[in-house]
Amino acid sequence: MSEITMPRLSDTMQEGTIARWLKKAGDEIKKGDTLAEIETDKATMDLEAYEAGTLQQVLVQEGETVPVGQAVARIGSGAPDKDQGAEKTTPAPQPASATQTGGDHTPTTDAAPTVFERATERDADEESTGSKTAQDGSGKTSKASPLARRMAEEHNIDLRQVQGTGPGGRIVRDDIEDVLEQRETSPAPAPIPAAPQQETPTSTAPSEAERVKLSRVQLLIARRLTESKQTIPHFYVSSEIDMTDMLVMRQTLNANIGEEGVKVTVNDLIVKACSLALEKFPEVNSSLKEDHFVRYKQIHVGIAVDAPTGLVVPVIRDANTKGVRSIAREAKALIAKARNNKLAPVDLEGGTFSVSNLGMMDASQFVAVINPPQSAILAVAATRKQFVPVDGQPVIRDLMTVTMSADHRILSGATVAHFLQEVKQLLQNPYSVLG
Amino acid sequence: MEITYRQALHDCLREELLRDDNVFLLGEEIGNFEGSYKITAGLLKEFGSKRVVDTPIVENGFVGMATGAAMLGLRPIVEIMTINFIVPSMDQIVNHAAKIYAMFGGQCPIPLVIRTPGGGGQQLAATHSQNLEVWFAHVPGLKVVAPSTPADAKGLLRTSVRDNNPVIFLENLALYNVKGEEPAPDYTVPIGQAKVTKEGTDLTVISYSRMAAVALDVARRMEQENNLSIEVVDVRSLRPLDHETILSSVKKTNRAIVFEEDWRSYGIGAEIAATLQEEAFDDLDAPIKRVASLEVPLPYSKPLELATLTGAKQLLEAINELAPRRRRGKQ
Repeated sequence: MSEITMPRLSDTMQEGTIARWLKKAGDEIKKGDTLAEIETDKATMDLEAYEAGTLQQVLVQEGETVPVGQAVARIGSGAPDKDQGAEKTTPAPQPASATQTGGDHTPTTDAAPTVFERATERDADEESTGSKTAQDGSGKTSKASPLARRMAEEHNIDLRQVQGTGPGGRIVRDDIEDVLEQRETSPAPAPIPAAPQQETPTSTAPSEAERVKLSRVQLLIARRLTESKQTIPHFYVSSEIDMTDMLVMRQTLNANIGEEGVKVTVNDLIVKACSLALEKFPEVNSSLKEDHFVRYKQIHVGIAVDAPTGLVVPVIRDANTKGVRSIAREAKALIAKARNNKLAPVDLEGGTFSVSNLGMMDASQFVAVINPPQSAILAVAATRKQFVPVDGQPVIRDLMTVTMSADHRILSGATVAHFLQEVKQLLQNPYSVLG
Repeated sequence: MEITYRQALHDCLREELLRDDNVFLLGEEIGNFEGSYKITAGLLKEFGSKRVVDTPIVENGFVGMATGAAMLGLRPIVEIMTINFIVPSMDQIVNHAAKIYAMFGGQCPIPLVIRTPGGGGQQLAATHSQNLEVWFAHVPGLKVVAPSTPADAKGLLRTSVRDNNPVIFLENLALYNVKGEEPAPDYTVPIGQAKVTKEGTDLTVISYSRMAAVALDVARRMEQENNLSIEVVDVRSLRPLDHETILSSVKKTNRAIVFEEDWRSYGIGAEIAATLQEEAFDDLDAPIKRVASLEVPLPYSKPLELATLTGAKQLLEAINELAPRRRRGKQ
C-alpha cells in the first residue's frame, strides 16, 4: 500500500485544496488516471496516479486544504480499508448470508473464514451496544494526537465531531485550533429573547445569512487586491477612442477567416495596440522594486477573465511580437482554460501590463485595480454610437472610453496621457495594429 | 573575531597545558607529525615530550596507560585518531575508566578526556566513517559531549579537562574547518546543558555535533523561504542528556525531529524520542521523527556514500512532512 501525497505543483505552492475527487474508495486505478482536481494558490490542476491499484482510502475530503507532502489518499491492492478513518461513508454492512454461515454452512474457500470472523465480530459489537446503528456517524473512529486529545478535553470538544487532517486522518492540534477559531468567529447561539426584547429594534443585522467559504484563488485575489489598492497610489486617466474604422477593419478581417479560423475580438486588437504602445513607453512596462525600477524587456499582457472561481488574469506573452490572429487564438484558448479551471501556474505568471474589458457588458465607464507588481491596468468600457461634430456637422461614430489606472510612484500623469494618446492613435489607424 | 573549530581545540589544549602541569596529551602522531588533523600543531615544540606524548599504534595500551595516569592524579587528554580506531580500547574505556571510581569505593576519580572525531562523507569507506558515540553514551560512568561550533568546542573541552570523570569528547572531520565566533577567554560550557541555537514555534529539530550545524542552516533557510518557524536544539552533551531543554522546546512546538548522523536503530534519536514520549506525551501532536543515516556499512563510491549518509535534504523532507498546517511563526 502506498500513500498519495499532495504534490508540489508550483515553486510557491505550500498547500493545496482538494477541489473534487474523480475517484472514490474501491475504484480500480490505472497509472495516469486523474484521481482528483487540486486547487492551488494559482490554478486548478489534476492529481494523477503514478501507480495502478485500488483506491483504498480517501484521507482528505473535498474542500479541505492540506500542506504539500501530506497524504491525501492510499492506493493498494485488494479491497478498500475497513477503517475508513476520515471517510464520511459508513462501511458497507457485511452480507447477511455471511453471518448465517456460522452454524450450518461449511466454508468452501480460503477466503470465507475471514469473512465469517469479521461477520461474527460485527455481530458481537452490535450485541454489546444493543444497537444496529452503532456504526452510524458516531461510531466513526477518531484517531487523535495526545496533544489534540488534551486540548479537546480542556475545551470540551467532542473529538467525534472533528475532522482529522493529520496523517491517516489523525486529529491534530491544527484541527482543534480550527474548531476553537470557528467557535470564536461564529456568533454564540443567541439566547431565546424574552418577548418585550423582541420588539426593541436593537439589531439591524439580517436574520439569515449563508456562509460561503473562499476558495484558495478567492483568498489570494482578496489579499492581493486589498494590498494593491491600499499600498499603491492609484491615479486615473481616461480617454475616448474612435473605434469606427477599427470595427470596419475587424469585420473585414473576420469575414475572411473561413470555418475554423478564430475571430479577432475588439479586445485582441486592444491588447495588440497596448503592447505596441508599451514598446514605445518602457516606463509603463515596468515595476517598482525597493529603490529601483525594473524595466521589462518583454511585453506580456494579462487579460482579466471572469472565471467561475473568481477573477483570473492569464497572460499573453510577447504580445508585441505576435500578430492579432495569434493573439486571438491564444486569448481564446486561455479564456476557455480559465472558464474550466484548467489554467496552469505558467499561464498566469509574468504579466507586465493588464487589460480589463467590460465593454461587452455595456459598462459605460469604470476604473480597475492595478495587478501588482505591474504599473498600470487599462479598463475598457463599451463602444457606443455617438454624434460627433465633423466639419461642423453631427456624424455618428463608434466611441469607446478607456481608463488607465496607474501607479503614481512609477508613472506621471503626463506619461500616462502620452501612452493613451499612442494607444488611441494606434486604434484609430487600424492598419497600424496589423504590423 | 572568528576562529575555526580546529583552532578552538588547539587553543584550548594549549591553554590547559599552560594552566595545569598535570595536564598532558597522548596519542598517535600528535607530536612530531603534529596530529593527523593538526589539532596539536606546535605543542610538542612548546611543551616537550613529557607533556605531548607520541604513542605506538596500540589504542588499548595507551588508553589503559592514560587511565592509570589519571588514577594517580594526572589529567591526560588522549587523542584517538578517529572514532573508528577506538574499538581496540573499548575494554579499557568501558570496563576500567568508566567503573574504577564506583568499584573501588570512590578512592580515585578518573579525570580522563578522550578526544576523537567521527563522521563520514570523505570517501573513507565503511571502517573509517563511523559514528559510534552512542556506544559510550550508553555507559554509566562516562560523560559524552559533542559540540557543533568552535565556541562550544572550546567551552566544552575546557570543562571536560577540568571534570573528574572520564569524558568522551566527540569531534567531527567535517567540522574542523568550520568557522565561528571566538568565545571570551576562559569561556566554559557546562556538561549536560543543551542549547537552543534558534528559537521557533512550529517544530523542533534536536541534534548534536555536525548535524546540529546542518539543522541550524536548514532551519534558517526554511524560515526565510517557507515562513516556517523551526526551533533548533543542539544537545551538546549526549550523556548526561539535558531533558529540561528538549522537553520545554517540544512542549512549545509539539512536534519534534531528531537529526543524527549515526545509524537509526538504537541510536541517539531513539533515546531522545523515548525521553520525549515518556515526559511530554500529552504535548505531542505527531509521532517523533528520526532522521538518520541508512543502516549499511558505508560504501566507498561517492554516489553511494551520498545516498547513504543523511543530510540537509533528508532533514528538509522530514520537516515538510512534519510541519503543521497552521503556522504559528511570525507572519
